[in-house]
Amino acid sequence: MHTTEARLDRIRGFAPPRPHNARTIAALTSNPGCARRAIMDAAGVDKARVAAHAGFRAPFGQSQFAITRGNAFEAQVKADGCAELLRLLREQLHLPIPEVSYDDLEYFGGERRSHEARHARTRALLGRAAASGDDAGTMFDHPMLTLEVGGRRVYLEPDLIAFRLRDRFHVVEIKSFAVIDGQADGGKVAAAVIQSAVYVLALRQLMEATAAAPPDIVADEVILVCPENFSNRPVAALLDVRKELTVLQRQLARLERIEDLLDTLPADLTFDLEADEAGVPRRPPGELAEAIRVVPARYAPECLSSCEMCFFCRDEAQGETGALGRDVRDDLGCVEYVPTALALARGEAEPSPEQAEAAAVLRLACRLRSESLPGGEGPPPAAGRWPGEEALGEAV
Amino acid sequence: MADSLEDLERRIDELRVAVRQASMAGDRAAARDLRKKLRDAEGEWDAALERLAPAGRAGAQGAGRDGQPRESSQAGEAGGEDGAVAQEGAATRERAAAGDARLLPIREQVHQALTLLGVPSGQRLVLTVHEAFLGAAPPAARLTSLRRDEERSFRSAPYARPYYLCAALTYDLLAPARGILAVSTWPMDRRVIGPLSPRVNYLTAAIRVAEATLRVPAPTPAALRLLWRFAANIPGAAGTGRAAKPELVVKAAGAELDVHREADEAHRSAAADRARAQLDDAEQLFGSRLRVFPRSATG
Amino acid sequence: MSTMTALARALAVEQGVAQPIATVRHVHISDRPLVFVPLALAGEANAPLAAMVGDDRSDPHLLVVAQPRNRDQRFAFAAELARIFVLYLELFFGAEETVPVGRGGEQRTRYADAPQLLVPNQGGIEFVALLGRSTRFRRAEGEWAVDPAVPVLGQWLSWLAGRAENPASSMLLAMTGALARHWASGQSAVEDQNLAALAGWIDPPEGMTGQQAAAAAEDPLTWPPAGPATDPTFDNEVLARLIENAARAEGDERAERRALRALTEALRGQIEPAWRLVWKSADLLRALPPGEHVARRWDDDKDAFSLYAAYLREGGAPQPRRDSAVTAARRLAWLERETVRYAAQRAHDDPLVMAEQRLAGEAFAGQVIAAEPGRVVGSGRGRKLRPLITVATTDPVAIEEGTRLVSPSRPGQNAVLVSAAPAGEGLTEAVLELSGGMGYGLIAPTGTIPEVGEQVCFATLADDWQPHGELPLPEDTPWTHGGPPVPYQPADEDVTEAWS
Repeated sequence: MHTTEARLDRIRGFAPPRPHNARTIAALTSNPGCARRAIMDAAGVDKARVAAHAGFRAPFGQSQFAITRGNAFEAQVKADGCAELLRLLREQLHLPIPEVSYDDLEYFGGERRSHEARHARTRALLGRAAASGDDAGTMFDHPMLTLEVGGRRVYLEPDLIAFRLRDRFHVVEIKSFAVIDGQADGGKVAAAVIQSAVYVLALRQLMEATAAAPPDIVADEVILVCPENFSNRPVAALLDVRKELTVLQRQLARLERIEDLLDTLPADLTFDLEADEAGVPRRPPGELAEAIRVVPARYAPECLSSCEMCFFCRDEAQGETGALGRDVRDDLGCVEYVPTALALARGEAEPSPEQAEAAAVLRLACRLRSESLPGGEGPPPAAGRWPGEEALGEAV
Repeated sequence: MADSLEDLERRIDELRVAVRQASMAGDRAAARDLRKKLRDAEGEWDAALERLAPAGRAGAQGAGRDGQPRESSQAGEAGGEDGAVAQEGAATRERAAAGDARLLPIREQVHQALTLLGVPSGQRLVLTVHEAFLGAAPPAARLTSLRRDEERSFRSAPYARPYYLCAALTYDLLAPARGILAVSTWPMDRRVIGPLSPRVNYLTAAIRVAEATLRVPAPTPAALRLLWRFAANIPGAAGTGRAAKPELVVKAAGAELDVHREADEAHRSAAADRARAQLDDAEQLFGSRLRVFPRSATG
Repeated sequence: MSTMTALARALAVEQGVAQPIATVRHVHISDRPLVFVPLALAGEANAPLAAMVGDDRSDPHLLVVAQPRNRDQRFAFAAELARIFVLYLELFFGAEETVPVGRGGEQRTRYADAPQLLVPNQGGIEFVALLGRSTRFRRAEGEWAVDPAVPVLGQWLSWLAGRAENPASSMLLAMTGALARHWASGQSAVEDQNLAALAGWIDPPEGMTGQQAAAAAEDPLTWPPAGPATDPTFDNEVLARLIENAARAEGDERAERRALRALTEALRGQIEPAWRLVWKSADLLRALPPGEHVARRWDDDKDAFSLYAAYLREGGAPQPRRDSAVTAARRLAWLERETVRYAAQRAHDDPLVMAEQRLAGEAFAGQVIAAEPGRVVGSGRGRKLRPLITVATTDPVAIEEGTRLVSPSRPGQNAVLVSAAPAGEGLTEAVLELSGGMGYGLIAPTGTIPEVGEQVCFATLADDWQPHGELPLPEDTPWTHGGPPVPYQPADEDVTEAWS
């Protein structure tokens, strides 16, 4: 482990590490084939700064209005011994009246604590709750969980309360997007579900570690609390995360251990920005870009909403059909490069045996397009206009 | 040397762009620096405008203008305010403008609200209760350093004042519970928080608020809203109809209190015993920070 | 997405400019649309921040909400928007036209034209839906009274949002979607959601490729997002401060005016580029010749508009929050039918769209090489004219024998596939039996059936042919047309529903 730490430190350079959280883990597992992201996240690289200095600043960020609203809603739901949350749990999930106990796992002993201290207290309290019957506790605010990701321990901080209902623990997620007439933004719900699955997994690992109870004491149903319609009144829904749990476990298992990935990389590889005393990066951008390119990426348009390196990798992927979308790539018969696809479509290149079927479809499509357009297909490509023309004839 | 207004406006636009670029690039140091320059430029712009038209602050003060009522001071308040907010805000300003002697110090305002509540309470509830029954509440920001100031005051001259606003102690570590305020004249049992105490205190507060609405000849809209929120979160307290009935709230809160009372009292009296045995005067009021006293071996 | 569109994207990448995927326009673009560009405050369900709206591109109204979380200011915004919207609607209540019903010589009237609302992107449509939802239940009297125009606005917006789900309707259009139906850019569909980027691909500025124009469009400092979401750095570095200043200036009239002016100018800077872009997108689409069925679909929109206006005038109730099971099922069936009709009409109007069908083997084009125009089947009084034609095509034919086909040039005529057999050299010979559209005798008048040597096209995708001007059957009338759904009485709780 020590060497891995050292190597990752070297890759990151002198900047302080940026920690993983449930969102980055979820993103990681949705694009597991991307070594670049896996290495950067494991090393805690500040991807936004690296991308910007390499010349590909991506406009990521969160509006403070959204943050404020989210914090305010969470505070409201948890206020006064979680009065509003209790109402929801009693009304919708039949939490028995005597179950009202509250424990704050973030702020104890009069102050905020370190991750390790919080995790220790979380383990102790949740373990005791799982093992005992009465007097076990109901609501646990701001627990600190851990998860093994790529062979390394990651601290996870659900902004939620894990609590006890019908002898099971349920992860509670409080989100500030609205549920209107019983419906919410599908994308946001999906993201919340995956994030929650990460927490469920972490909580199950905790149970396994303490051996206080079998892991399935943690329910695979998560409680999502959102504002109702256009008000601040909260409403709760039970979400089944079994599918996401399965996917997550599979992806995490397949996530190459970071050591194996590091073995393929040069020992002196670093993304350090060589900042001076004023904090201004001094590393030549071209050199930085070269270093980044040493680690292969796997760009898809989905990266644009989930990774700060997206513009860099997109620029690198220019000319690949995958950059146009996985469905477009499939429609082009999984031919990897645009010039290749066009050459096959125009009958200017001989397809390999694997490409034969796709090439036939492309040729037909090309012919039909020519027939149907008033002016035919348009001017043929000028020589040397397109980078990567050498890629003609490359097999899929 | 004062720049012209146009120069300042141009500089402000440029700085805004620069700040946003730095922010997008994740360059926090540069963003901080540029932000400061932007604030300075905005300040200069304000000053320049003042110099241009030195006619002083004309214009009406106070109550709601047509079509442009303002929201009250509480940000993020729960739903149900609606039009009443505008009226409330207007009433508040009118009082302030009239020079009504709401010149009590913050600590006394908090003390009065806590006394009404009778149990350790969170900041939000304290302010809401004040707004509901005692007039305009101080802004929330003024309360953040209150406990610390009170502790300093106590330590420099113990018991010099008739009361202090203090902490409530957690039952296991006897440390100050986050964001909770209490009154020093309350017995130790009341100033400890067991695992069931947040809920017990909430129910007790509900009863006290309901009783207060019955005492007052004409409860304010804020009081009725507060009562309604309690009613919504206590089983059996809501009843039918649009308004909450205080008697029903008292009854329902009492019924649930009966469920938790015994266990809660057991936790708290044990914790109070330990506090009296192990903590000095200041720590009994403001909590133990440095030393940790676990409740039992498995803490 | 199909291979044809994918190919067009690949071509766009190569050519550096978006490639057409349609030869004609498949949406109606009004001469007098109402363009609406909303901005919403981040983190809330639907808190309007500002909006630029108007039917004259040189004279937009800019509405600004200084305290987006303040309920009264939100309703003031809604009232102002309602005023503008109702004024716009009234332009269309002045002129009517008569329309024949069926073939019996009966007539009915409807408005001669209908309003059209244009928004920049799908987010704009969702904003319209949410704003409609948050305003249509309000009341003009009682404890929580709002301006009477507000619930009317809500009902119209909700109705428009409902119509927008139907791809055949053009009353509420997101320009990103409308442009994307006619051009394939050299970027992904995700990136096409950025109106500036997509427009940059379709019509790049002088000296720039589509890629370069799209890259420039992605910098929020040069091209502010077309909304409703604002750029987070704008929120954090500029907007938050301006809103705070406006709040702090309370009570000082001059300071208030100054703060409001600063806020308005900052927001204008964020909205104006999108405003211009929506108008430009409308121009780009108008430059395409309309498909044949566009007018017919716009007639359907006019019918729907006329019906709903009548419904509201008679005091129609606002749309319920959720459809009953029956209404939902009816609506779904209606949407499915409309979607198929739209696809069929587009294919019949546009050879480039038909090409997709041909690629899939669901249609074919070729030359008539043989014909039996006089073929008759049946006996005695049951004798019918059923000509046969044989078409030679190089297209793949994956159609089952016995399937009914239709030709774009003879929509009223049915053709049943009798057989399709390979004939060497990549050719397929398809034999078709024709019926309908040939008059009533046993001899087909000239031109009513294809002759030898004619180029023809036949497709399985067909528009269920309706006589022009007929309304759908009453039981098929969707709630968007005003009923008859289960009567809905807004409950008190809807009126008092709190806003955060």
